[in-house]
Order: sequence, then C-alpha cells, then structure tokens
Amino acid sequence: MATTFPLCADASSLNPDRDKYRFYACLLRARFDENKNEKDMVKATLMLKAGEEEFWTNQHPQPYIFPDSPGGTSYERYECYKVPDWVLDYWHPSEKTMYPDYFSKREQWKKLRMQSWDREVAQLEAETLPGGPRTEALPPARKEGDLPPLWWQDVTRPRERPT
Amino acid sequence: MAARVLQQCVRSFARPSLRLCTRNVAVRATATPAVFIHRPLSFAAESPRTRLFGQSRYGDLPPLTLETIKERVMYVLKLYDKINPEKLQTSSHFMKDLGLDSLDQVEIIMAMEDEFGFEIPDAEAEKLMTPEEIVQYIADKKDVYE
Repeated sequence: MATTFPLCADASSLNPDRDKYRFYACLLRARFDENKNEKDMVKATLMLKAGEEEFWTNQHPQPYIFPDSPGGTSYERYECYKVPDWVLDYWHPSEKTMYPDYFSKREQWKKLRMQSWDREVAQLEAETLPGGPRTEALPPARKEGDLPPLWWQDVTRPRERPT
Repeated sequence: MAARVLQQCVRSFARPSLRLCTRNVAVRATATPAVFIHRPLSFAAESPRTRLFGQSRYGDLPPLTLETIKERVMYVLKLYDKINPEKLQTSSHFMKDLGLDSLDQVEIIMAMEDEFGFEIPDAEAEKLMTPEEIVQYIADKKDVYE
C-alpha cells in the first residue's frame, strides 16, 4: 500500500514519530480531498501525473522499508529453512507415528490432489491470456465442487518463520 | 550429521501443535537437541522471556494469537477519526456500514501495515473491506492457528 500512497510513505519516512506523521498525512489527505470530485478525466490524469512528479522530486533518500519486504532487512532471510512438503513423504514410519492424525489424513489429501490436478490445469489453460499471465494472482475455482487451481502449494506452504 | 539436522528442522517445520503451547524449556530442549547444538547460542541462557512463553524467542516479538490480532485491529480502527467507535463491529463493512471512502480504506490498510510491520500488496488489500477480513488475512499471512 505504500506504493499506492507513496506520498504517505514518504511522510512516514520523514516523520518517524507517529503523531507528526499523522499530522502531515492528514494535510496530504486534505489536498486529495479537495480535488476528489473532479469529473473531467483529462484534468484528473494531469493532476495525478503532477502528483507523481511531486512525489518523485520530494522522495526520501532512504525510505523505511518493512523488514519482510524486498529491500528490507529480513527479506528472504528464512527462505533457506522453508522445507517443501514432499520431504514429509520421506520420513521414517517411526517418525510418522509421532503425528498419526496428520499422516492419516495426508494420504487422502494427496489422492484428492491427484484427482483435481487435471481439472486445475485445464482451468488455468482455459483462462490464461494468449500472451501469458499478467499477474501472479491465481483465478478462483469457477465450477461447483472444483478446487482453486494450484491449491496444494498454498495449503502445504511452509510457515513464515520456520523455527 | 547434516541429515540429522535436516530431520530436526523438518520435524520442527511440521509441528503445528507444539508451536503455540506453553511447554517448559526443558521439554523443548530434549525434543530438539540437534538444533540447539548447531546454532551458535551465545545468549542461550534462560531469559525471563523463555520462561514466560515456554519457547526460545531471543529477539522476536511475542507470538500472535487471533484474539490479540483482533484487539489490535479494532484498537487501530477506533483511533481513526472518521470511524465512530460505538458503531464499529468486526463485521462492519467500511464502505457500506461505516460510510468510508476508497482512500480511507487505503489509509486503514496502511495503518494495519504499520501496526503489524509487514507489507500488504495492493491486489489483496483492495479486497479487505471488514475488520474480520483483515484479521483473517493477517492470521493467514502470519500462520496463526492455521
């Protein structure tokens, strides 16, 4: 969201104190609100362009980037500890008995995945634009009783902070 | 040795039930000996924090729970001056019930980002229209009571 409101993110880098930041953010918001009822699209796009140029000239040299965002301090720090889920299939049975309820359901989930895979691929192939996908966002399931495409990698994704 | 460490890592990876329970440090130490040996723990002495949460969290924040996320989200929303705190519920829609703008929704999501310390991409942020949805999204991202 700092990308759609870059002026606010700028204000937050310039004013690390919460109250000062809030003051300048409210002033910015008032400037936006003055022109929010503009019906003429040409003027509106010109104002937007002027706003973006103003942001570019006034941006902070070292903006605050969240730790988990690209460029932040802990971006991809824990990627090396995130183990894929197929490793669970290689556990020894004595280890698998430590989590009986999970592993008893795991076989059913894997069967479900085998069954729904062809439908997921068919849906993705039907819905992708000819030039390739434009965004990383996956479409939801369209038909009744269908699972969303590539659901397995979302359901079995590793934790954010693998301990 | 490396295989054993990987085993321990995988075991700790697929251990949903142990993550948030308050077992004492001794039990946890016996359960994962290899991890403790291989990490250079210069501050491995038992701090009050480990005794408090039953887990080793050396420089990290206390673990999130659904209730704390909900409390923080509602607290931040009540601080926003365009929202009436009496009318605010977890299921109140920003645009329909509270009469807010799309710019207000963006501001709210930015406040949530600042509160929880991680970025919410625009495509998913424009769909979050009630406090309940925000709580669910944050719990999904932070793996809380998955």
